[in-house]
Amino acid sequence: METKLEVKNLNAWFGEKQALKNVSAGFKGNSVTAVIGPSGCGKSTFIRCINRMHEVVPRARVTGEVLLDGVDIYTSMDAMDVRRKVGMVFQRPNPFPNMSVVDNVVAGLKLAGSYGKDELSEMAEKNLKAVGLWEEVKDELRKSGASLSGGQQQRLCIARALAMEPEVILMDEPTSALDPASTTKVEELLQQLKKFTTILIITHNVSQAARVSDMTAFFYLGELIELGETESMFKAPQNPLTERYITGRFG
Amino acid sequence: MMALKDPDYLVRIYDQMREMYNIVESAGSEIDDGLSNKKRNLKTTLTEQCQEAQIMEEQTVEMCIEAMIRHQPFARDLRAVSAAMKVSYDLSRICRYLRNIAEILEEFDVECDDPDLLPLYREGRKMIHLSLEAYFGKDAKAAADIIKSDEVVDRGYEAILNRYAMAEKKSGSCILFNGITARIIERMADHASYISHETIYLVTGRRVDYR
Repeated sequence: METKLEVKNLNAWFGEKQALKNVSAGFKGNSVTAVIGPSGCGKSTFIRCINRMHEVVPRARVTGEVLLDGVDIYTSMDAMDVRRKVGMVFQRPNPFPNMSVVDNVVAGLKLAGSYGKDELSEMAEKNLKAVGLWEEVKDELRKSGASLSGGQQQRLCIARALAMEPEVILMDEPTSALDPASTTKVEELLQQLKKFTTILIITHNVSQAARVSDMTAFFYLGELIELGETESMFKAPQNPLTERYITGRFG
Repeated sequence: MMALKDPDYLVRIYDQMREMYNIVESAGSEIDDGLSNKKRNLKTTLTEQCQEAQIMEEQTVEMCIEAMIRHQPFARDLRAVSAAMKVSYDLSRICRYLRNIAEILEEFDVECDDPDLLPLYREGRKMIHLSLEAYFGKDAKAAADIIKSDEVVDRGYEAILNRYAMAEKKSGSCILFNGITARIIERMADHASYISHETIYLVTGRRVDYR
């Protein structure tokens, strides 16, 4: 697998406070990378730098490079283009409450270009199927997205992100608000999605990181402490800090 | 960096294994006495001790499975749970080997003095003792030394076999008694070596070559 995403000497600040310190890492295509670390270690800032969402925060700034297929997303791509190619799923499901299930899925497509009604319907069905939601909602496509269960709403949000055909999907604790059954569905979904996209998922649940990811990145105090294959890292981490974190000695 | 304190569930697993080790040590002393003083009536005692050790092995495995379910250990904690399951098996197996010697002592009931057998047994037993000390003390260096010393027992075993193979005057029963006992001691020492491999894995996270 080739490197899909690479960051080089990435630094990020909120005003005077430095949230990321000289982070360099490569992420292979068609893989799931878990991003772990204690609260405040820079995980969210890191993934928000990858789709240029950090820069929308007042007084925030970024230095360094983020390369998507070798192209610097800060100097050679438009921010909207970046966010189209690098989708994001948030901690709490956030379907548009005044839109139907199907409209939620194609909302981004409608904004992005001119698609016919039939085309949009096909895209909605395809992506609802991709997240395993089609069978559950096919008779209720006109219902409000907000009427679905929490787990269904989160998969709806993933379908919405997928509809834009992103090359990378960033997930910020996507299952933290879900029950165990819904969590399992999302975790299983990741294994399907990685066949055609690259996923970075923030999780506070180290067991989940071990279950779902191919690679794991451990952050501490804004630094990337260790990045490696999940199996190796969870059996025998190289860095004592990683060991302390994943064995629950701090954080 | 300070040494990591074991979580409570691991402390309980180690306590259980120390008790198991005490049983194996006691069984080992019985056999030492049996070989030294030609005692023929150890089978019942050893059978009881090894049954207890086997029950404790099963309990240890249950405790490890419960630890994995409840605590989902990772890194050195995961390695510790994995090693505990294997080492508890090794202890139980060593005990069964000791019982095998007790059975042979009883069944053969012959005077078979071999000056090398008791020293070989004591060498094997010393390896078991040191391997457990290294395991409980999480001492990878000591464990590596024990693996090297396995050769001493292997050579001792081969020397006994070769001597009987070359002997002009042979007593069938004694060849069998000493040969089988030496073979059992060699296997016991192998398990001490396996315990040492687990200790190295537990401490360093690396598997070393068995060969």
